[in-house]
Amino acid sequence: MSTEIELTAALQTIPWFQELEQEHFNQLLGIATLHVVDSKQDLFREGDQEDYLYVVLEGRIAIEMSVPGRGRVRVYTAEPMDVVGWSSVTPVVRQRTASARAVLPSRLIALDSYKLRQLCENNHDLGYIVMRRMANVVASRLLVTRLQLIDMFSHPVNEGSNA
Amino acid sequence: MATLTNHRQEAISPYSPMQPYPARIAEIKPEAPGVSTYWLNFLDPGLQQNFNFKPGQFNMLSLPGIGEAAISISSDPSKKERVGHTVRLAGNVTRALGQMQSGDLVGVRGPFGTPWPVAENRGKDVIIAAGGIGLPPLRPVIYQIMQHREDFGRVVLLYGARTPQDLQFAAEYEQWQAANIEVIVTVDLADESWTGQVGVVPILFYRLRMDPQKSVVFTCGPEIMLRFVVFEALARRVHENRIFVSLERNMKCGLGFCGHCQVGPFFVCKDGPVFSYNMLKPYFSVENL
Amino acid sequence: MPENRLELGAVVALPYAELNILLADLRKAGYLTIGPSVRNDALIYTEISSLEELPRGYSSQQDAGRYQLVYTGHQRFFDITPGPHTWKQFLFPARSELLTLRKNAGHWSIEDNHSRPKYALIGVRPCELAAIQIQDKVFIRPEWSDPVYRLNRQSAFIVNVNCLHPGGTCFCASLGTGPQALEGFDLSLTELEDVFLVNVGSEAGRLALSELAWEPATAFWQQSAHAGLEVARLKMGRSLLDPASLPTLLLDNLEHPNWDTVGERCLGCANCTQVCPTCFCWDIKDSSDLSGETCRRERVWDSCFNPDYSYVYGGNTRPNIRARYRQWLTHKMASWQIQFDTLGCVGCGRCITWCPVGIDLTAEIAALRVEHH
Repeated sequence: MSTEIELTAALQTIPWFQELEQEHFNQLLGIATLHVVDSKQDLFREGDQEDYLYVVLEGRIAIEMSVPGRGRVRVYTAEPMDVVGWSSVTPVVRQRTASARAVLPSRLIALDSYKLRQLCENNHDLGYIVMRRMANVVASRLLVTRLQLIDMFSHPVNEGSNA
Repeated sequence: MATLTNHRQEAISPYSPMQPYPARIAEIKPEAPGVSTYWLNFLDPGLQQNFNFKPGQFNMLSLPGIGEAAISISSDPSKKERVGHTVRLAGNVTRALGQMQSGDLVGVRGPFGTPWPVAENRGKDVIIAAGGIGLPPLRPVIYQIMQHREDFGRVVLLYGARTPQDLQFAAEYEQWQAANIEVIVTVDLADESWTGQVGVVPILFYRLRMDPQKSVVFTCGPEIMLRFVVFEALARRVHENRIFVSLERNMKCGLGFCGHCQVGPFFVCKDGPVFSYNMLKPYFSVENL
Repeated sequence: MPENRLELGAVVALPYAELNILLADLRKAGYLTIGPSVRNDALIYTEISSLEELPRGYSSQQDAGRYQLVYTGHQRFFDITPGPHTWKQFLFPARSELLTLRKNAGHWSIEDNHSRPKYALIGVRPCELAAIQIQDKVFIRPEWSDPVYRLNRQSAFIVNVNCLHPGGTCFCASLGTGPQALEGFDLSLTELEDVFLVNVGSEAGRLALSELAWEPATAFWQQSAHAGLEVARLKMGRSLLDPASLPTLLLDNLEHPNWDTVGERCLGCANCTQVCPTCFCWDIKDSSDLSGETCRRERVWDSCFNPDYSYVYGGNTRPNIRARYRQWLTHKMASWQIQFDTLGCVGCGRCITWCPVGIDLTAEIAALRVEHH
């Protein structure tokens, strides 16, 4: 069990939490818990209901997708201060679209998804801040994914090239 | 007055920089799939002793009867016994090079190009951001810094490749870390056996706490990666004249005479390949320039 | 100016027929005498040994994408303006050997035999002389000089001919490169009725002229030449306004919509780069005999319109004609100034005449001056 002091201290290390008004901070503190996972331990699997929105404090969490014939393909790793499981707050997606697994022993903040959505519904000011934050996360992931998709390091076949 | 660099080419022979000098392949070291380092010794020992290059410069390697290719010098400038050239085996000339063996001869012309401003940035924090085949032209910078480590502040290598198998010079990362150089690596895609990061080089900046006033950025890799590295560096308020990029273009002469390597008014072979971003800025984002 | 003595800068008169003697003297001195001549309905530069081979009685009609030789039977040799040939084919040959490499028993020997003929270039126009001087800056630089160009250039004897009848695509006056040359020649001729007015431009020119039956230049002849050149200055087929503004205009408009327009017309045929007297891009071609023991390295003309020109690993940095046309024009009219302290264009108009779709760079530049958003 994490103590409130431990939680508060952990939340205060996260930059976007530092910018919250005291009231909003306390509301999120109220739905937060500390999770500790070992290497290779699953956080969640594809298809799971989203239960928590995570922020990594220490360690590394791999985002993976299971591709038949290729096994688990690692498409992203979340580092300290990264958000994992942003789909928790979006109304459209209701299931995890990828798996999350610890690569290194990790410590995370977990915000209860259902309670978070309720908080946002009831307090649009907080809701706006959370959604804006998530929009940034998704935008950043989209950029990374596009750069990965471009496959800039691939080896094209060159015919007729001189050098 | 013409404003471009007019420095005397400090080539093997400033008087005949179009002439290839024979060198023997001492060793071919595979670095990653499709990438090998060719370690060369000039046949003339006097030339071997007097061959000096600076980090970021390149040689034109000649295969007589076949052609030439511009190859970055990737070895330690202070080690004179042999010169390392890291080659991606891709086109006619480099594929022919791929068929060669230790003991075979290749021609060398060079060194050419404007180098990384390492000495000019003593006292700074150096952030080296490399992608794929962009690491070889930066490795000499790492060696030079290691030899004068106390002259520099924090030194960080951000390196990205396609997959863990494509990471070059992986066996040296520990030595670099031992010299107090942070080595942060990422790959585009991996499987479960990889415990490192998966992502792209530009986002390694998100997690880097840096002092923009003290920092200089050296970056080399695919041009799309360069664009985003520059973007991230500028977003973190690194001044545009402290961001240096190395470009790659089609090169034939290496001297700025044949016209091929131009980007805007610059000849990449002599005004570059290393450019400060503020010099390149008007031309950098123009599509198909 | 003493008219009875030959000195540097002297202006004298030379009867037409004396030119034959000049040609003979030059040939005796070992020069290969090259001049304009009509072949296959075009004016080319080739070896000549007498006045009879010059294009007497000819002129040409030139416009965008149009070239027509016209014979009117007049008595002048140099009314006609240049055709597709330039003098760069002699000073910067389309193919030249850089070196021969012989492999034997694990060692290499390299020969670079750069012996070249001595050229006497007869009938070089002021714009062409300006082009040669521009190529001097390209090929002969403090840090290195191209040995082939330098050898050709240092031994060349140049007889300039000023232009009294500019052509339909000429715009040398806009760029200050003609219709009269002021320096850079050994001898400079202005063609009048029955005589050439001759300027002595160098010691070599003075010596050559001293062997000929020259006469003092009368005031009448000098005034005729002067008047003729003044008229010529105003009779240009094209003009290019404010050349000093071009580098900024072009480099500030790299995304101007006009590049799309001209990019759709341009075929990428590279004619313009072939006929341009200043274009200097070259490629290296390596070849070997069957045994692989003897390898030749040749330098050949290249063109930025060539698709392979901008090839890099993974693709082409200029993958379409729009990009390549933009490169050609911005190099010639903007980057060149930054690189060599001069514009790359001399206003000879060849690129306009010999473009199969009639692209006129003076019009393209005018289009760039139109503001866009």
